Amino acid sequence: MIIWTPMQLELVLAGGEKETRPEREVVVNEVPAVIRETGFGEGEIVRLLSTDAFDYLRPELAPGTRVVLHGDET
Amino acid sequence: MSSGDYRLPDALFGYQLPDAMHEPESQPQGPAPGDQRQRMRSLRELGTFALPAVRSPLQTLTIVGQIEGHMVLPSQNKTTKYEHIIPQLVALEQHPQVHGVLIILNTVGGDVEAGLAIAEMIASLSKPTVSLVLGGGHSIGVPIAVAAQYSFIAETASMTIHPIRLNGLVIGVPQTFEYLEKMQDRVVKFVVKHSRIGEARFRDLMFRTGELARDIGTVLIGKEAVECGLIDEVGGIGAATAKLKQMAEAYKQKREAPVQ
Repeated sequence: MIIWTPMQLELVLAGGEKETRPEREVVVNEVPAVIRETGFGEGEIVRLLSTDAFDYLRPELAPGTRVVLHGDET
Repeated sequence: MSSGDYRLPDALFGYQLPDAMHEPESQPQGPAPGDQRQRMRSLRELGTFALPAVRSPLQTLTIVGQIEGHMVLPSQNKTTKYEHIIPQLVALEQHPQVHGVLIILNTVGGDVEAGLAIAEMIASLSKPTVSLVLGGGHSIGVPIAVAAQYSFIAETASMTIHPIRLNGLVIGVPQTFEYLEKMQDRVVKFVVKHSRIGEARFRDLMFRTGELARDIGTVLIGKEAVECGLIDEVGGIGAATAKLKQMAEAYKQKREAPVQ
């Protein structure tokens, strides 16, 4: 793998060993999104994966919004 | 047998066509309730998404941060993952109601293989594509920017063109250099094929000394990228959307024209 970037490689690869809360891809209100788990059965939206720009205008899908995970998203 | 059993074969294709896709365009649409579980199943088992119901014939792809390929980068990086972009491009290509794709770039480069894969996919879409470089389109962002049929760059946006460097294990044998040279040739050939810049000019920009503090190469800002033929026009979101609308209209008319 070759990383081609004007950024310093040390910066790109820094923090690789740091533990962070897992991010997961789920569907929130019909829109695919990446969420970060904040606790058992709940998370917050990190970003949307939709190609429809209008999804990004929906306030209930704004980054940081808390979502409750049902069993069928896992 | 429950209705859920009937739905299973759809999951084999990795996505499910929403019912609304077969309806006329004017009607509001949305998948039938109860599809959620099915969609999640396809996401979980195959790593792909359900084909979204579209509300706009012009769809947007944003490519930001590092382009992440075969290795997951540490989480402090903002990344665009190719496993997200590639299925989206496949869906956009197939969706009958999508008439154009706007690609917004603000990337610092990243994985060469993944970046080239995305660029090749954008270049081979049969639908109108317009790219807009905002902020930066560095390194592997350059082939992605030129892959679209028409490209814009914001007045203050910059593009860094510099040689590919090896990272990871480097073995001091001639083959290492040749491999690197091959990787670079792939990028150069792609850029030359999809923009107005010549190979000699592009290589000249790539190997120029005295411009970058930590590297050789060039930073092109706004209209400089247009002047050297890399990008088609200086403009922002208004110009890019207007151009895409015009191209989408032409595409729609061509597609709807009866076969003679």
